[in-house]
Amino acid sequence: MSPPIVELEPPPSKPSPVVTAAPIAPPVRIAGNTTRRNFFRAGAAVAAGSAAAVAMIPRTGPRPRTGDPMLPLPESAAPPAASGETWGSPEIRLARRVTMGLTPEEAQLARSKGFSGYLEYHLNYNAIDDSAVTAFVATTYPQLVMTGTELYALEANAVLRQLQDATLFRAAFSKRQLYERMVEFWSDHFSISMRDVGYLKTIDDREVIRKHALGSFPEMVRASARSTAMLVYLDNNTSRVGRINENYARELMELHTLGVDGGYTQADVVAVARCFTGWTIAGRGDFRFDAAGHDYAAKTFLGQTIPAAPGTGAAGIGDGDKVIDYLVRHPNTAKYVSSKMIKWLLRYDPPAALVNQVAAVYMQTNGDIPAMIRSILTAANVAAAPAKHKRPFHFVASAMRGVNPTVKGVAGIAGTRLSLVGQQSFVWETPDGYPDDVQFWSGLVMQRWNFGDYLTALTTGDVIVDIAPFRLVDTPDGITGAINNAMFGGEMPVRTRDAIRSYLGASPLSATRVREAIALAINSTTFQWY
Amino acid sequence: MDDRDNNACTEYNELSRRQFVTWSAGAALLATFVPPWLPKVVLAESYAANRDVIISIFMRGGADGLTLCAPFADPEYYAGRPTIAIPRPDSSSANKGIALDDRFAFPQAMSPLVEPFVAKDLLVVHGTGSVDSSRSHFDQQHFMEVGKPRDPTIVTGWLGRHLASITPMRTNAPLRALGIANGLAQTLIGAPQALPIPSPANFGLAGNVSTRQERTDWLKADYMGTPDPVRSAAIDTSATIDLLKTINFTGYVPANGAVYPTGSFGASLKSAAALIKADIGVEAIQVDVGGWDTHSTQAPLTGSMFNTMTGFAGALGALYKDLIAVGAHSVTVVVVSEFGRNVRENGSLGTDHGRGNCMFVMGKSIAGGRVLTKNWMSLARENLESQNDLKVTIDHRDILAEVVLNRLTNDRLSFVFPDFVPTMRGATE
Repeated sequence: MSPPIVELEPPPSKPSPVVTAAPIAPPVRIAGNTTRRNFFRAGAAVAAGSAAAVAMIPRTGPRPRTGDPMLPLPESAAPPAASGETWGSPEIRLARRVTMGLTPEEAQLARSKGFSGYLEYHLNYNAIDDSAVTAFVATTYPQLVMTGTELYALEANAVLRQLQDATLFRAAFSKRQLYERMVEFWSDHFSISMRDVGYLKTIDDREVIRKHALGSFPEMVRASARSTAMLVYLDNNTSRVGRINENYARELMELHTLGVDGGYTQADVVAVARCFTGWTIAGRGDFRFDAAGHDYAAKTFLGQTIPAAPGTGAAGIGDGDKVIDYLVRHPNTAKYVSSKMIKWLLRYDPPAALVNQVAAVYMQTNGDIPAMIRSILTAANVAAAPAKHKRPFHFVASAMRGVNPTVKGVAGIAGTRLSLVGQQSFVWETPDGYPDDVQFWSGLVMQRWNFGDYLTALTTGDVIVDIAPFRLVDTPDGITGAINNAMFGGEMPVRTRDAIRSYLGASPLSATRVREAIALAINSTTFQWY
Repeated sequence: MDDRDNNACTEYNELSRRQFVTWSAGAALLATFVPPWLPKVVLAESYAANRDVIISIFMRGGADGLTLCAPFADPEYYAGRPTIAIPRPDSSSANKGIALDDRFAFPQAMSPLVEPFVAKDLLVVHGTGSVDSSRSHFDQQHFMEVGKPRDPTIVTGWLGRHLASITPMRTNAPLRALGIANGLAQTLIGAPQALPIPSPANFGLAGNVSTRQERTDWLKADYMGTPDPVRSAAIDTSATIDLLKTINFTGYVPANGAVYPTGSFGASLKSAAALIKADIGVEAIQVDVGGWDTHSTQAPLTGSMFNTMTGFAGALGALYKDLIAVGAHSVTVVVVSEFGRNVRENGSLGTDHGRGNCMFVMGKSIAGGRVLTKNWMSLARENLESQNDLKVTIDHRDILAEVVLNRLTNDRLSFVFPDFVPTMRGATE
């Protein structure tokens, strides 16, 4: 119902097609080799009480903690020895780590294939028959395969929504669950806000994240560096000789490869930015090297010299490639990426020995992601790891898997509901991605609880939750057992089982009562951890 | 609540639907713990009686300040708006404006605000707004809420930082701030003990009301067995449920004959009044009021915008009678919008995104009863920004900073409004 008006400016999430005319934002520099964001990130921890530090406290990054940064082991996640629980079954523990949430099928797969067989099954994701989901996605979300020109012609918000919907649908229902977990991880590692780049992110999702999520890390960095979404998001599209923009160069080292403590200086940032001058966008999402805008003078970064090559035209693109080649082979990149992957897959507090071990695998395999995962998710490591807290997206996907609904579309959940729990996809504003941090997410209690209630009450519309499968044995015991099998892999703690059973038994077994019991199970603390 | 608005632009509708996208996440940031970086202040007493409670209101959509407070003495105003102007107060029109001074008039729909204006408790600031020239709803709302334009490193809100940098008005208050909305507005992000509470009378689990208590108790017991910070967050949440239950919102009788209009904004301000009177330590309340993106059929005299203004002014007028007029409660209300609208009406009997706007400040200690301007000039093209829009001559942060300093007793202005030195405009007494 928009009125017939002339917009004073292009819609916010659609980049201006005339990129060379875009003004160049001066790089924000505060001190030394650090971005403003990191200055205040460090400031929050070091200069406690500093007003500036508090004023700029970023959304993410290490936050001051009240106590021991080590996450205590949830009682409900404790190994079985003392309590007689079965939470500790190694395959099911692994299934929790490599999926968006347990289903009876997934638990059965894990048990029948055994620990390493099950891990290999998920690592070899192309061999998993996912035809039903692939067909649904192809029909329901046709934009995912469109060219930039086609996407550009569409309404920007419709493009955002379709990618969000497809992302949640695949996360919840694809059989390639570890792949989807890694897609989520890399989407944060190479985080791009669609509010800033619009349809370009749809191309990035397809050509960078999904193409390499379980492939080669160096290849993913190379693809990301040529991703027009990334070039626009981090302003490299406007970086030219004599008027460089440092944003991409800095984040390439700080967030994508070496890590903030990776040993580079502000001079390195400038040198790397000069190497990438002229990497820009053409047309509708095509990468272009603007040879005329490239800096051909000699540069030195991290002790490496790139000699001057005056007048070599298009060959200047090699400067950026040389930078990437060097960065992806750097031991600090190996350590940084290993540490982040351990955090994601295993535990919040990556032990130094394990980081070194996984980093060595990175160096030996040239950043082969499946090889790194094999060295992280060993039976011993998984058995020793404390539970992690599900981020809201993970929680929502888990709940959807648990109730196994009939689905025509997920727009209401991928939009409003994920927004209410705080983690709608592709709208995180800063390039560091949604935090993987229990402290950050733990406050939205009521919002989570209300998602459980919302989901289990859906009896009409695009998502329909049928409770008949939970009532095959229509007693409090029978229903509790069905819930346990449906979403806890049969390992619901005795304490939770008793409480669910009591709730079911406290009044006549109406459909509402059963739906409420399922919601309580989803909202229960046990379900928040994996 | 569906904020979709038939005469609003696409961006606004989309923003309304999704404005809590990432911001609600911020609630998680500080709701769970008191950060060690908070200034350590020794409390002399547990109650800061000289500090006002602040109600911060955001008119989402870009409210047309030239209608809310019309410059009737300027022929250029009537030249630019042949069909949607507010008639001169000295005209014979039934819809004539209500003169505030010899330059400006309220439209009839704003008549509930005449009483606080005459009592010198309502200040109108005109030609104010953000110093940034963006005409994007998303950008400008963001810039105003965080209190600084174009700095991606700032994600906390100005009001959130105010609360984070001053000791609680009441020690151990479980809830210091709330947004009466589904998600916490960015204005409040960063505030300790701040929650989004769409309906304070019904804060709690969704679903079947008859089993709500039973389910809440179930979850409360269940979360006792989980580690911090999840456990303490659950405890805070259930403490807030219990606290709000002690307040009789439905039976609340406003003082002084005040009648809040029906509609969500009236209901929100009524809840706000009940909360403030309950004296539970709430010191900031954020409320949004939508419907201002009047691109077409603006109708300020009888139709769409008339109704929006009626609901807005009626609720604010009721709050004035209920809380402020009698002087029993120290409350300051600030009202802003992301931008004003073009001086000239468009071809659809509406107005498009502009720049300078008016804002409102209300309270017993506000230097009200006047329309504060700076270098106000006629709306002739040569005086306008891009020949189209009222210029911003007063940074809205000047006014907010003065309120923070004098009414909220917080002198850490460089923290609340980073990299900004406010000019005091005499907004407070």
